[in-house]
Amino acid sequence: MAELSAFNFRPGSSVLHGLDVRFKLLFLVLISVTSLKAYPVSLSVLTLVLVAALLHAQRSLKSIFKAFRYLIVLLAFIFFARALSVPGSAVIEFKAVSITREGIYHGAMVCWRLVIVVLTGLAFVSTTRPSEIKAAVEWLLNPFPFIPSKRIATMMSLVVRFIPVIFDQARETADAQRARGVDNRKNPVYRLQKLGIPLMRRTFERADKLAVAMEARCYSENRTDPGLRAGLRDWTALFVVICLCMFIVV
Amino acid sequence: MNIIEIKNLSHRFADSTLGLENINLTIREGTFVIIAGQNGSGKTTLLKHLNGLLLPTAGTIRLAGRTVSENLVKARQMVGMVFQDADSQIVGETVCDDVAFGPENLCVDRNEVKRRVSKSLKIVGMLDFKDQKPHLLSGGEKRRLAIAGILAMEPKVLVFDEPFSSLDYPGVKQILKQIVSLHRSGHTIFVAAHDLEKVIAHADRLVIMKEGKVVKDGIPSQLLGELETFGIREPCASRLGMEVPSWLN
Repeated sequence: MAELSAFNFRPGSSVLHGLDVRFKLLFLVLISVTSLKAYPVSLSVLTLVLVAALLHAQRSLKSIFKAFRYLIVLLAFIFFARALSVPGSAVIEFKAVSITREGIYHGAMVCWRLVIVVLTGLAFVSTTRPSEIKAAVEWLLNPFPFIPSKRIATMMSLVVRFIPVIFDQARETADAQRARGVDNRKNPVYRLQKLGIPLMRRTFERADKLAVAMEARCYSENRTDPGLRAGLRDWTALFVVICLCMFIVV
Repeated sequence: MNIIEIKNLSHRFADSTLGLENINLTIREGTFVIIAGQNGSGKTTLLKHLNGLLLPTAGTIRLAGRTVSENLVKARQMVGMVFQDADSQIVGETVCDDVAFGPENLCVDRNEVKRRVSKSLKIVGMLDFKDQKPHLLSGGEKRRLAIAGILAMEPKVLVFDEPFSSLDYPGVKQILKQIVSLHRSGHTIFVAAHDLEKVIAHADRLVIMKEGKVVKDGIPSQLLGELETFGIREPCASRLGMEVPSWLN
């Protein structure tokens, strides 16, 4: 089965699980933005706080590392790009290329900040149901006239629901074609065409069936509003996050 | 009391082929009806008329005395439909969200939505799966989820379109047990099927369709001998002259 990534909601009863999604979205923005101003001491504190929060939310260290599997390539690229491009005192020199001490420092800082942003995102996604994220998006878009917030929220939820299904279909179609010797055809355009057309046809057929099934369940944009409720715990958490952000900036 | 009354129902598709021709049926509340027929005999087309997914070209369908087209939302709330392809019916990102989809569309109060979700998941034995992602469920579980999604809308009539297709033996038993238990709790049940072996023992009435027409309508045990005339396989036990046993025994 197609499991997208480690960025999935995990049910639990931690403090993060109990917070209002709108506050969590705000925390995500605040921490991500202020981390751009952070330096080693404050970054260390932030890393510890986030890892502790993730462990408290029942994410194991292994699953946290798993979330970084694909990011490591990007981080390595950023690190080397910085290390090679920032002028300063050279640590390693080879012909015209040199890795500088300042470059290593700047590269490490940028990567660390990115790790903080990803950790914050992981904490958010792991402790928030997709339906709550959908509800928050709907709430945020509500004040804007001419934006169909309910329709956008439904479309979001359908995308999240059907991406793994489309991945499954793509794999099934690819397997069926491999079973009929498509590997012997070296032309990538031919192979892409043979995979893409049936996959698109099946996806559109599924979309048709989905539309009928939604109609059978009385789909309407005039639906029960999502139950969002902020309490003392959310305001206390906001105070703590603001204090943390101030510590980072100052 | 008659819950469904179909009079002179005909349906012609956009490409002018005739899907249904002059169907007349009256179904009493709480009946377990099997609609049998070969592929393309009009079973699904007929079922889609029960909740207004298709509207008649001619004739009328009445649900508890009211025509379906009079209030489509009411008709769809009253007649819950479980489709052949459960994967296409599931819209929520989690089991819980999917079951809530129907009641939310009916603008039911949030606390009532939660109550209905828990109740429906409990009925189909999937309360422990509430945070699971639907695409990770097995075929049988997906179909049970589709049933829960319909039950949360509190329908009186439940329509199952080929409910056993592509299920393994335990999956078939699970779904059959669910259907029988829903029938016992007072729901009117419609099952469209071309293989009657699994379900015939529980039905009160058998309607056989061919080329968009109802060709036989009666008590299942009296029609078993004629099934193969209409391209439907006769259950093994019936061929041997025995009573067809339930798959639940």
